[in-house]
Amino acid sequence: MEGTIFNIQRYSLDDGPGTRTTIFVKGCPLACLWCSNPESQDPRPQVAYRYTSCKACGSCVAACPKKAAALDAEGVHIDRAACDRCGDCVKACAHGALRWSGEVKTVEQVMKTVMRDKVYYQTSGGGVTCSGGEILMQPDFVAEIFRRCRAEGIHTCADTCGYGSEEAMRKIMEHSDLVYFDIKHMDPEKHREYTGADNGIIFKNLAVALEMGVPAVIRVPLIPEYNSDEENLSALADYVKSLGPGIGHVSLLPYHSYGSNKYRMIDKCYQLEGLRKLLPEEEQRAREIIESRGLRCVVSK
Amino acid sequence: MSYIPEPVNREEIKSVKVLTPRLQRLKKEWEDAEPQVYVDDTLLFTQSWKETEGLPVDIRWAKALEKRLDECPIILRDGELLAGSLTKFVRGNGTLCAMKPHEILQMVESGRFDRKTSDISSTKIDPADLEALRQDALYWIENMPKVSTVNASVAFEMGEDTFDLLFDRGMVFEGRGVRYKMDRGLFQNYSAYGGGVAQVSDKCIKYGLNYVIDLCRKERERMIAEGDNENSHGSAQFIRKFWLLKACIISCEAFIRYAKRYADLARSQAEHCADPVRKAELLRIAAACERCPAEPPRDFFEAVQAVRLYHLVCWKESSDRPEVPIGRLDQILYPYYIADKKAGKVTAQEAAELLGALWLKIRECENLVTIPREQRAAPGSLLPNITLCGVDENGVELTNEVSWLILEAMAQMKLSEPAIYIRWSEKTPHDFIIHALECNVEFGGGNPAFLNDRLGTERYLERGVPLYDACDWCASGCLGYHLSCMEHLGGGHNISQLKVLELALNDGFDPRTKKQLGPHTGDVRTFTSIDQILEAYYKQLDYFVPKLMMFKTISLATEITDGPMSGLRVAMQFDTAIKAGLTPKEGGAKYPEGRTSWLGSRGMVDLADTIAAIKKLVFDDKKCTMAELMDACANNWEGREDLRELCLSAPKYGNDDDYVDEIYDELSTRVPEIMTSRIDPITGKKPMLFIGAAAGHVGIGRAIGALPNGRKAGTPTCDAACSAMPGMDVNGPTALINSATRGDYAREFVGYALNMKFSKSVLNTPEKLDNLASLIKAFMLRNGWHVQFNIHSRAELLDAQKHPEKHKNLLVRVGGYSAYFIDLPRELQAEIVQRSMHDEV
Repeated sequence: MEGTIFNIQRYSLDDGPGTRTTIFVKGCPLACLWCSNPESQDPRPQVAYRYTSCKACGSCVAACPKKAAALDAEGVHIDRAACDRCGDCVKACAHGALRWSGEVKTVEQVMKTVMRDKVYYQTSGGGVTCSGGEILMQPDFVAEIFRRCRAEGIHTCADTCGYGSEEAMRKIMEHSDLVYFDIKHMDPEKHREYTGADNGIIFKNLAVALEMGVPAVIRVPLIPEYNSDEENLSALADYVKSLGPGIGHVSLLPYHSYGSNKYRMIDKCYQLEGLRKLLPEEEQRAREIIESRGLRCVVSK
Repeated sequence: MSYIPEPVNREEIKSVKVLTPRLQRLKKEWEDAEPQVYVDDTLLFTQSWKETEGLPVDIRWAKALEKRLDECPIILRDGELLAGSLTKFVRGNGTLCAMKPHEILQMVESGRFDRKTSDISSTKIDPADLEALRQDALYWIENMPKVSTVNASVAFEMGEDTFDLLFDRGMVFEGRGVRYKMDRGLFQNYSAYGGGVAQVSDKCIKYGLNYVIDLCRKERERMIAEGDNENSHGSAQFIRKFWLLKACIISCEAFIRYAKRYADLARSQAEHCADPVRKAELLRIAAACERCPAEPPRDFFEAVQAVRLYHLVCWKESSDRPEVPIGRLDQILYPYYIADKKAGKVTAQEAAELLGALWLKIRECENLVTIPREQRAAPGSLLPNITLCGVDENGVELTNEVSWLILEAMAQMKLSEPAIYIRWSEKTPHDFIIHALECNVEFGGGNPAFLNDRLGTERYLERGVPLYDACDWCASGCLGYHLSCMEHLGGGHNISQLKVLELALNDGFDPRTKKQLGPHTGDVRTFTSIDQILEAYYKQLDYFVPKLMMFKTISLATEITDGPMSGLRVAMQFDTAIKAGLTPKEGGAKYPEGRTSWLGSRGMVDLADTIAAIKKLVFDDKKCTMAELMDACANNWEGREDLRELCLSAPKYGNDDDYVDEIYDELSTRVPEIMTSRIDPITGKKPMLFIGAAAGHVGIGRAIGALPNGRKAGTPTCDAACSAMPGMDVNGPTALINSATRGDYAREFVGYALNMKFSKSVLNTPEKLDNLASLIKAFMLRNGWHVQFNIHSRAELLDAQKHPEKHKNLLVRVGGYSAYFIDLPRELQAEIVQRSMHDEV
């Protein structure tokens, strides 16, 4: 079985307990404004441009049969509509500035990498996390990886935005020891505005996970001006509290713009350019709101 | 070591403030002080040498130490808790002209004095002292032997051509004993490692030097009354022992008098002291120095004061390269500490301040260097290594409250030295490991390091050392370790694997010296498989190993018998050295084969990467021909940057990549086989192998041209035993560890160290430190030997902005997101640099 992934990160420390290997699958049904991995959204492998390595030699422009690559003072731009992903430009680039983002891998290949770090999972209480992109877009692939992991005694954690079919959710949850479940906004309208989709399906899928007995950690990206307000966080805290004891804790991810340059790499535009950082008091307040409901709250650093 | 440590009061430990206002002031005084050249010791040494003309060399060396200890100026500064200053200046740097007169004269004439630490030189010297130093150096130039016995002997036995293999020429061999026409003084062939380094002796502290003196006296009396055929048969050996024991007595008595001078000084300061608190401190110093080292310490304070004086006197005595390991300080001090604590005589806070004071006094020891900067193995280090923890012969893990306090002292004092080594075992308390990692972060990275307790002991067991001794080892030198005061701490003779490879690639011809240094092993341009290249390389290595062994045998043995015969070092290992009538380096140690038999191997990682690149590009993918590659290397890649890019992108060690790791594995099996295929004639046993890695990588790199792994001519080789080519390990820490521990390499090679680098974002929460602790555990379970964690410095981040290609592996992690630093936009890079600056303050 094959899947499309854009990264396998070993010694991953933020995607579940212990030392983990995180498999990032490619393709996401949402397009959150603040997404720090925009290259994960497109479900197919695509050419990415690393401008720090570019020597502006122009060999990609010459190599492109579709005339989709152009060079100006800011470096290389690729007309993504014209690009048919033939990869000639990647082959032509001697400096590693143009590279493939995403590759098709078999479960076997993924497992080979996963197994190399088994001793580290054991000493740390870690395991494997599948993240994205969105895992619900490749449920059979992810489920199969998890099934194989469990057979090896490796802990599995699914990291999902929850937007996908119930069937996909069930397939993956069947082999998951833990789920990291994102909630971006409680208000359906705002959720649609910021991420491109309704949150109804998301809540339903969270219920599915809990019903199947998979413990959940709720992850909330804290984006100033978008979802870090009192009203949203209070609603969120109440909602999470109402879910009962299946919830491990709430994990807050304060906004950062480290992914902003990645938009340039795939010729996209970052819409939150210039957005301010979360203030320490906002972070503190968010934590208080969560904790006031008797929930455990962890802020990622 | 048999005891069970009492439970540790962690809260009390974590609340200690090592940097009390007093220590803050003393530390600042030291930091602000301009280094100043100190000449009293060298003048006293020379004067003594003139006075003792005609006496046996053992006696002369002891008398020269005695003269310095009796007559050098002593200082006890306001507020100091411990006595024992190296010089009369806050930051004085001394030397002995007798050891390196040409170099000292050169410094005098240039007005620039190199110091032992990093790249700082000092120019401050009193004009009268400058002239005295000049005269002293001139005296020794006039009076020292004109020819080095090592060089003459080597030339006699092996021919002048042998020098083409050495330093400044082909540099196939490298290491302390392997220098050509170095500036050597009185003891032409003496280097610290040939001569050996004295260690602070736990058993001397425990028994007191009066006991040692008594043993020496009785042994001499016995020799006269009964003869000594059993131990020193023959007249030469008899008289040697007779004098050496006398030298030991002279040295010990001088040490005792030196301490008493401090006692007198402290007492007289106390007499004039109006402040009752300070007065009591001074009287406490006086009482301790009056008692120790003659007798065993009675309490914790006396024990710490004794450690200070032992380190100082060993330092003074070692003179040329005084790299004195302090050993298992937590074990030395614990009995005194716990007894005092139970009796209510000391609190953790008081002990912590005292350890902080000890730290400052240890750090104060600096010398003018007598080895040219580029030839130094460890340019930044004074190597007063301290070892903590460890499992004893009964399986008891010995982490105790002093171990905890020592970590605090290290972290809070933030001095570049001493370095701490933790003997990691599965029994080491988890919270102690976490605390050590927290201290590492607080310190700024790189300290403490973790050594594999089980492996260290097992390696000695495999050599036939019984368990009760095998488990009593500590860190020494840059990457070595040894049995506490039971072995001689010598150095190794290294072979530069990259030079051997370069010769193999050039049919034995050395592009640097333009000479045929090795045998003809074929023109690689005509080779059709990687195996042919490997065979050529193995043949070259096999040709050089016996030469290295012969060179080592002549040079090391000559050094040993020509160097100073130190009575003090007999004292440090009195339990065996007195009876044998030999210094530890000559065979007076309990385990005499010790560290005299090292053969070092440098450049294994570069070697594997180079073979992998050739295999991949020339023979597998056929991207270029061997001839193209050789031409590009010969021209240092000029005009062939494209080929260099290809070479750099070939599989690199450190990424858990089977392609290159299998090659590394094969090399790490075959190289030791070849290097141990002949016995070491001095010990009659298989030589012990050492990964000579510490910092010699700059020196050996200079002698090697461009290589197919993508390196440029003359650049440093990889920096530690099993670290990857800089910036080339892009798959993260677990992949690097997997590459480094794929085989049981650390059992084969001593000094197999892994330096890992992290950005602060990987070390900033308790969970992440937990993960790091698990990483250490996995490393040790995979039979890793030595690991330490550095933190990316601001300088490195700045360099990464300028030269992204060199820092491809610099990972930045922020809450669930990670990226390579070089991929970040400039503003964000700047922000991270800014943050690192904040972290460093």
